[in-house]
Amino acid sequence: MADHSVARMRRGTELGLVLLSGAITASAYVLASLGEESSMPARIVPFMLFVLSLVGVAHIAVRFVARGADPLLLPTAAFLHGLGYVMIARLSDRWAGLQATWSLVGIAGFVATLLVVERTGDLRRYQYTSLAAGVGLLLLPMVPGVGFTSGGARIWVNIGPINFQPGEFAKILLAIFFAAYLAERRDLLWKEGKRVFGVQIPEMRHLAPILVAWGASVVVMVGQRDLGSSLLFFTLFVVMVWVATERTSFLVGGVVLFAGGAFVAYQLFSHVRTRVDIWLNPWDQYTGRGYQPIQALFSLANGGMTGTGLGLGEPGAVPAAHNDFIFAALGEELGLLGATAILSAFVLLVGAGMRTALRAQRDFEKLLATGLTTIVAVQTFIIVGGVLRVVPLTGVTLPFMSYGGSSLVANYVLLALLIRMSDSTARGLHEVPDSPSVTERVATWRLQRAAR
Amino acid sequence: MNQRIRHLTVALIVLFAVLFIQLTTWQVVRRDDLVADARNNRVSLREFDTRRGPIVTADGTVVAATEPVDPATNTSRFGYQRVYPKGDLYAHVTGHYTLGFGRTQIERVHNDVLMGKTPQQQLEGAGDLFSRADTSGSVHLTVDSRIQQAAKDALGKREGSVVVMNPTTGAVLAMYSNPSYDPNLVASHNGNSVNTVMTELQADARKPLLANAYQERYMPGSTMKIVTTAVGFETGFLTMERVFANEREWLPPNTTKPIRNYGQRECGGDMLEVFRRSCNIPFAQAAVEIGPSVMVDGANRFGFDERVPFDLPGAAASTFGGLAKDFDDSLALLAIHGFGQGGVQVTPLHMTMIASSVANGGRMMKPFVVEQTRTQSGTPISTTSPSVWKTPMSPATATTLTALMKEVVRNGTATCCFRLANGVVGAAKTGTAQLNPEGEPERSHAWITAFAPADAPTVAITVFIKGVDDEVSASTGGRLAGPVAAKVLNTALSVVK
Repeated sequence: MADHSVARMRRGTELGLVLLSGAITASAYVLASLGEESSMPARIVPFMLFVLSLVGVAHIAVRFVARGADPLLLPTAAFLHGLGYVMIARLSDRWAGLQATWSLVGIAGFVATLLVVERTGDLRRYQYTSLAAGVGLLLLPMVPGVGFTSGGARIWVNIGPINFQPGEFAKILLAIFFAAYLAERRDLLWKEGKRVFGVQIPEMRHLAPILVAWGASVVVMVGQRDLGSSLLFFTLFVVMVWVATERTSFLVGGVVLFAGGAFVAYQLFSHVRTRVDIWLNPWDQYTGRGYQPIQALFSLANGGMTGTGLGLGEPGAVPAAHNDFIFAALGEELGLLGATAILSAFVLLVGAGMRTALRAQRDFEKLLATGLTTIVAVQTFIIVGGVLRVVPLTGVTLPFMSYGGSSLVANYVLLALLIRMSDSTARGLHEVPDSPSVTERVATWRLQRAAR
Repeated sequence: MNQRIRHLTVALIVLFAVLFIQLTTWQVVRRDDLVADARNNRVSLREFDTRRGPIVTADGTVVAATEPVDPATNTSRFGYQRVYPKGDLYAHVTGHYTLGFGRTQIERVHNDVLMGKTPQQQLEGAGDLFSRADTSGSVHLTVDSRIQQAAKDALGKREGSVVVMNPTTGAVLAMYSNPSYDPNLVASHNGNSVNTVMTELQADARKPLLANAYQERYMPGSTMKIVTTAVGFETGFLTMERVFANEREWLPPNTTKPIRNYGQRECGGDMLEVFRRSCNIPFAQAAVEIGPSVMVDGANRFGFDERVPFDLPGAAASTFGGLAKDFDDSLALLAIHGFGQGGVQVTPLHMTMIASSVANGGRMMKPFVVEQTRTQSGTPISTTSPSVWKTPMSPATATTLTALMKEVVRNGTATCCFRLANGVVGAAKTGTAQLNPEGEPERSHAWITAFAPADAPTVAITVFIKGVDDEVSASTGGRLAGPVAAKVLNTALSVVK
C-alpha cells in the first residue's frame, strides 16, 4: 500500500519551486526599483516577508489538506502572480497597494477553497445550484442599480464598498455545472434522439441546459458587450461537450455556430465591427482607437530580444498597461526571452492541468479539470493574442498577472480546485495514503464519542 | 475521453505556438520598423528624462547643455531641459533636440556620445552598475565663439552666410547662416508651442531651418573664375603671359547671344589684368578653349557634383551644371559657366574650401566642425584628424592663383572694401552673380572668398549675401561682402595668431 514517500517528494518539489518563484519575484522587484529609481526599494524586507508568507501559507495548506497534488500547479501560478505584481508595482504605487490586498484575498480564497471542498465529489451535488448561481452572476451586472459599465463593458457589480466582476466566478460555476451534467448524461446526449441527414440530434430535454448556457454567452456578448468573455464561455461549452461525448460533430457544430454567430454579430452590432476594424487597420486610426494596440506593438519592439530591463522601459505609454495590456509591458521590459518564459509558464500550467484531467479516474473530475484548464488557456490566448494582434482585441484579464481583484481571486479558486482534483486522483490511485479529511476526522471522533 | 483531452492539449499548445511566432514577429522580425516609426517616441521619452552632455566651442563657450527642470516653476513631466544659451547663433551647427520633431545636426550625429551610449562611455560608467551613472559625454567644436559672434554681427540683418576655415586643416572656425532660428523654442517641453513654432519655421519661405552656408547652393558669379583659372593653368591652356583682347562683347560658338562684361564695359589685357578686374569674356573664352571634357573633369577635381564630406548632415553638393556631353553641343553654355553664371551652383562652405585649397598649396582638406568627442571624465572618444579630400591643383598653380588673388585686393575688385587691420595683406576673389534675365530688374548675389595672410595663410573666409532686395542687387560682391569679410577676418586673425 501507499506510504508517505510520494507525497513527501511532491511537497518537497513544490516547496523548492515555490521558494524559487518567491526569489524570482523578490529579485524582479529589486531590479525594477533599481531600474526606475536607481536605488534599492525602500520596503524590500517587508515585501519579501509578505511574498514569503503568502506562498508559504498556500504551500502549507496544500501540504496539510492536498498532499498528493501535482507539485507544478502552485509554483507556476505563484511565478506568474509574482511577475505580474512586480510589473503592476513598477507601473503605479496606487495599483500596487490594491493588488497587494487582492493577493492576500486571493491566497485566502485558495486556502478556503481547499478547506471547504474536501472531496471533489462534493461539488457534483451542487450541479443545478452551480448553474443557477453561474447564470445569476453572469446576469447580475445587467440588474439596474447594481451593475455598471466601465471601459465600454457592462460587467461590473457594485455592492457596498466593493466593485467586482461576477463573470470571473461565473465561469468556474458554469464549468462545474457542465462537468457534472455531462458526466451524468454524456451517453444520453447522443445515444437517444433522432438521426437527421445521418447526423445524430440529441433530444431536447438533454440539450436544454446546454442551450441555456449557450444563450447566456450570447447575452454576455450582446447585453454586456464583453466579447472576450463571451468567446471564452462559448469555447468552454463546446470543448467540454466535445470531450464528454467524443463526437466530432459537436465540435463541428460548435465551430459552425460560432462562425454563424460571429457573422451575425458583425452585421448587427457596431461594437463588434469596431473591434474587427481596429484589429485589421490600427495604423489608419493611430490618433483614435488604434493608439493603444499600436503603442503596445511599440512597447514590444522597444523590448526586442532581451528587453529594456525592468524599470528601464516606457510601458506606461500604453494605456491600461497594468490590466489588459500587461503582456506588452512585460514584453517590453523582459524582451522576447522573458515573454517566452511567461508563455512557457502558461503552457506548463495548462500541461499540469491537462495531466490532472488525464489522470483523473472519474468522468466528473476529468471534465472539470479539462474545463478549468481550458478556461486558463483560452483566456490567456484571447488576451495575449489580442495584444499581439493574432485575434481582435477583447478585454479579458491575463490570468494571475493582470491587475484586478475578481480575476485574481477567481483564478486562485480555480487553481485550488485543480489541486484538489489532482490530490483526489493521487489518493484514488493509491500513490498517497487516502487519509481522512478534517470533516471526516471530526465525524469519526463524534461517532466514537457517541459509541462510548 | 483521454484521447480527446490529448487532442485538446495539442490544440492549445498550437495556439501558444502561434502566440510565440507572432511575439517573435513584433519583437525581432519587424522590430526595426516599429522602433524607427516616427510615432514611436519610447526612446526619446526615456532619453528626455536624462542628463545630456554639452556642446562646447573651441574656446570653451557652452552652446548646448541640459539644465534640471525646476519643479516649482515648470510643470513638465521631464526632469531636464535642453538649452541653447546662444539662441540662434549656433542653431545650424548644434541642431536641435526635440521631443516630437526628432534631432538634427550634432544633436543627431553625436547623440550616442551626448547620451553616454558609446561602448567606451558605458564601460567607464560600468563601475557604478546599479546607480545608473551619468555617462553623458561632450562634443567639442572647432568653432571659436569670438569669430562666430563677429560673423553674425558683421552680416547683420542681411540674408546670407559667413564661413571661416583653417585652410591647412579644414577646421571650420565659424559658420553662420541668416536666417537662423532659436532652437530653444523647439526644444521646449510645451508641445503646443513647439508645434506652432515648428509649423511657422517650416512654412517660412526664407527656410530658416536650412543652413544656407552648406545646405543650399547658389550661383557663384566671378568667384568661379578661381576654378576656371586653376583648370586652365593645370592643363596648360592658360599662362601668365596670355593676353586677351579688349572687347565689349563676344559671341561664343553656336549662339546669337553675345557675352558681355560686368556693367557692359570694355575689358581685356593680360592674365593679371583680367583676373583683378574680373572681366567675363576672357574666362568664357578660356572655358571654351579648354573644352567640355577637360573643364568638367577639372571642376570635378574641385569636388563639384559630389557630396562634400562634411561632419554635419545634409551638406549639399555644388554642381558645375552638367556633364561633358551636355556642353559638347552648347559651348555657349560652357562659356557662361566659365565665369560662374548659368547652371553653376556652389555652397558657401565649398567656396571656402576652394579658396582654402589655393591657400594650402593645392590641397583641399575635408571640412569639419567637431574637433573631439569626450567622455564624462574628459577622455577622448574620437578626435578628428585633418585629411586631404581633393588635390585640384599643383603647388605652382596655387602660388600663381595666390598672386592673382593678392592683386584683386591690392588693385582690383576688392580694393575698395577689403582692408585688413595691422597691415595684413589678404588675397581674395569677388563675385556678383547676376540672377535676373536681361531686361528684368537687377537681382544679384554678392560673394567674396578670401584668405589671409596671403603669404602664410592661416584663415580662409567666404561671405555670401543673398540677392533678395535692391540694396544687395545694386551693389557688387566686393562692395557688399568685402567689408563683412574684412571685419570677420580681423577678428579671426587676432584669435588664431
